[in-house]
Order: sequence, then C-alpha cells, then structure tokens
Amino acid sequence: MASVEERVIQVTARVLELDPAQIELHHVFTTDLGAESVQSVELVAMFEEEFGIEMDEDEALSVTNVGDAVAYITKVCEEQGAET
Amino acid sequence: MADHEKFPLVDATEPNLIEDTFDYDLPPLIKFDGPLVEYIDGKPIEFSAADFLARDFFVTDTTFRDGQQARPPYTVDQMVHIYDLLSKLSGPNGVVRQTEFFLYTKNDRDTLDRCRELGHAFPECTGWIRAVKGDFRLVKEAGLKETGMLTSSSDYHIFQKQKFKSRKECMDSYCEVVDAAFEAGVRPRCHLEDITRADIRGFVLPFVERLMRMSEQVPEELSAKVRLCDTMGFGLSYPGTELPRSIPKLIYLLNKEIGVPSSRLEWHGHNDFHKVHVNTMTAWLYGCDAANATLFGYGERTGNPPLESAIMEYIALRGDLCGIRTEVITELAEYMQSIGFPIPENYPFVGRHFNTTRAGIHAGGLRQDERIYNIFDTTKVLNRPPRVALTDKTGADGVALWVNEFFGLKGDDRISKIKCHKVARWVMDQYEKEGRMTSISDQELEEKVKELMPDYWDKYCNA
Repeated sequence: MASVEERVIQVTARVLELDPAQIELHHVFTTDLGAESVQSVELVAMFEEEFGIEMDEDEALSVTNVGDAVAYITKVCEEQGAET
Repeated sequence: MADHEKFPLVDATEPNLIEDTFDYDLPPLIKFDGPLVEYIDGKPIEFSAADFLARDFFVTDTTFRDGQQARPPYTVDQMVHIYDLLSKLSGPNGVVRQTEFFLYTKNDRDTLDRCRELGHAFPECTGWIRAVKGDFRLVKEAGLKETGMLTSSSDYHIFQKQKFKSRKECMDSYCEVVDAAFEAGVRPRCHLEDITRADIRGFVLPFVERLMRMSEQVPEELSAKVRLCDTMGFGLSYPGTELPRSIPKLIYLLNKEIGVPSSRLEWHGHNDFHKVHVNTMTAWLYGCDAANATLFGYGERTGNPPLESAIMEYIALRGDLCGIRTEVITELAEYMQSIGFPIPENYPFVGRHFNTTRAGIHAGGLRQDERIYNIFDTTKVLNRPPRVALTDKTGADGVALWVNEFFGLKGDDRISKIKCHKVARWVMDQYEKEGRMTSISDQELEEKVKELMPDYWDKYCNA
C-alpha cells in the first residue's frame, strides 16, 4: 500500500488538477498549489474518504501545507484506528 | 504598556458582547446617558429622557386612511383581516392605540362596523373627515368618539388651496367646525396639515391657543387633540434648526408654551426626504405621545412612518415586548403581499432578504455565531431565521449555513461544511463553468441537496 505521503499527494493532485510530481511537502495548499476556498473544503473531504477518517473541521482547515497534512492525517488515523 | 497613553488597551480574554444593550432576544435597546438640549429663543432647554420614558407614548395607525389614499381601495374583508392582525400585534396594552377610517362610502362604514364587531379593545376606531360641519353627522351616525379633521396650517393651504381671504377667516372657519364637534359630543383631532411649512408664531400658535381655550369649556374627554402633519416631509430632527422645520421647537412651543399635554399631541410624517422614521421618533422624544404610522410605510407619495419600525423602536425604548406580538409583523407582511402589496426584498424586518447575507465571509460569521451578522434573534422575534443567498461569493460556509437551516439543525447537530462540499462545488461550477449571472434559488438548492447529500436527506427529510 502506498504511504500516507503518497496518498496525500495523489488526492491533492486529483482535487487541484495538478501533476503529482510537482507537489512537494513544503508546498502551501493556497499560495503554492492554488487551492481556493471551496477546494480546501474538498481536499479535507477527499482526505477523509481516502483514509476512512473523520477530521475536525477547524483543525483540518487550519493545516496549511502538504507536509503538515501528512502529519495531521497520520495522527488522526492512529487515533481512529484507520489503516495507513 | 506605556503609562502616558490616553486610551490604554483594556485587555480581555473573554469577549464583552455588551449584552445589556444588545440583548439578542429583543431589538437593541435604546439608552440615554444625559438630557437633550435644544436652544429655543436663545435659551438652552433641557429635555429629559427619563421624563420621556415615564410618559405613556404609543403608536396610532393610518393604514386605512393615508395608507389607502396611495393605492386602490382594499376590500371590506381585507381591511377587517388587517385590523384583526393589527389588534393581535398591538397586544393587550394597546401599543397600537388607535386607527382611523374614512366614513364617506358604504364600504367605509361597513368596514368600520365589522371591525368593531370583532370586539377588540385596541386599536380604537376613530374617523377622518373634512373640516365641514355637515360631516359630523357621519361621525355621530357611526357612533365614533373621536375624529380627525383637516385644519391645514400653512399659507400654501390656507390661501393657495382653500382660497380663504385671510388667516382670520380660516381660523374662524376651523373653530366653527371644532365647535360643531363639541356640540355633537365628538372629540376633534385637528390635523394641522403642512405644519412644517406654516407660519408657526403667526398662525399655528394662535390657532392652537384658541383650541385650548375652547377645550376648557368641554369635558376632558372631548378636549381637542392636535396632530402635527409633516405633509411634505420637511421636518428636521436636528437640534439647532429653525422653525417651521424644527421638530423639537415645534413640539416644545405647543407642549410647553401653549400647554397642549403630550397625551393630546400626535406626529404624522411623510418620507419625501428619507427622514420619516427618525422624525417620528424625535416627535415621541420631544413631547408627542402619539406616533402616527402605516403598515410598511405605505402612504401618499413616498409614504408614512412604517408602523412596524415604530413598534421596534417602542420595544427598544421600553426594553420589553410589553405584550406586543412581534411575529404578527411577519404575518401582516405575508398577507399584504398575498393581496398584491409590493414589499422590496431589502425592506427592513419583512423584506424577503432583510436578514439574508450573500458574502461568504459573512456567512462564515453567521455559521459560527449568528449574532455576528443578524440584527437580533429574528427567528424568535419575527419567525424569520437568518438566511444566506447563494452566489459565487457565498462559499462553502454559506452552503453549510443554508443546508443546516434547511434541515433545521442547530448546535452540535449541525452538519460541517466538509460534508456539504459536493453542493458547494456545484454552486461554484454554476458560476465558474456555466457562466451563471443570477443567484441560486432555494428550490434549486433543495434539489441538489437531495441529489448530492442523500444520506442526510433520508435522515432529516424522510424520517
């Protein structure tokens, strides 16, 4: 199974219609990857679907870059017993 | 922190929402922290807010008279229904104290009879006639205790319209009719038309002084009332303005110099300069107990003081509903619209979008705490929950707010905007991909919620 990082990048690329190879961990979703308001919400929704987890809305939307998203999702998966 | 700052920050970790004033259950309260001062004849005169609040001020209605002059006639049934709703709105304390009726046609008289048959204590039914002695027959036959009568006060009316040869001839004529009212046992309410364009010291004060002298000869319940009619909306609320436009000075002279008690003074405004509500409230404040108004401000030309706004002001001043059933304002608006009465969408308190927000950032605020962008608890006070209108500016916050309101979810039961993302995407695509230029209707969104959030639909709509 792909790593959390790979899956996060795949989802991000799909939602934002980007080439996964161009996405790096330090990239900020909004300024570097061009995520608009609704797309940020869609990203969170797609991460939930991909990992089978429920994220706190405010916490999830306060995550700014790809690396932090990987860390946050890993933490939530551990808390909720989801497979990573 | 530097100790020389004139206004040092008062740091806080908890918000101060100033709830003593912004009690969310009521319109924001109006509080005074000192007297009002108006210079009259060069001397400062203090008007005490405490004295004002101690008075029994109230609202009177002219929906069926001035309000009807500006539109095709209501049917008898329509007027009876509106009267019934006005009574419900008014409540047992008679905040809407009186309403006036024409008496000239059979329809007018049938309406009056049917309204009185309802047996409501308030609003009391009064009449409206020309300043013609013979018209008192109509008032007597109708069994009314009080009637308004035209006693126009400006030279525009005295000379240009009514063609009197002199002010004296005019005043004598008016006083003859007032005498006829007394003889008929009917209380006259003298409507001083166009008072804000009249010669106050040359005609208005002498006429009202004479009315007061005449009233001394009759029982108190017949003593003449005075309605100050700002016929063209020229009245000004600002301190320091001159007569005849100054509302504070006009009322002071009649109330304190001539001695007309506040209980016999009434203000009737028009909205030609967008001042109608504030002018009417100013009249309350400076000494008129009665604020004359029409439902939704409908009246001649630009209209009259909106009755529902006067009601809101009353509650804000009293700090209590005082028996008023505010939700009837919404019922009245719905009824008026059902009989073809147009109400603009942005019209305060009753317009379709009076508490609708369109900007996503405002919708976000509403979603967190509706007090941020809702004037008061419009759900409780007017049975109108705050709304969002969906456009390209609304964002996921607005969509989530709409969805939660649609399902009637509050607090922890609310659905997060993450769960609404498909609907939010559809909304955005309408504008970004489909080139839409109009807002999205509730019906369209309902269909999309059903399609894109089927689990929630089944849970909350099919339960």
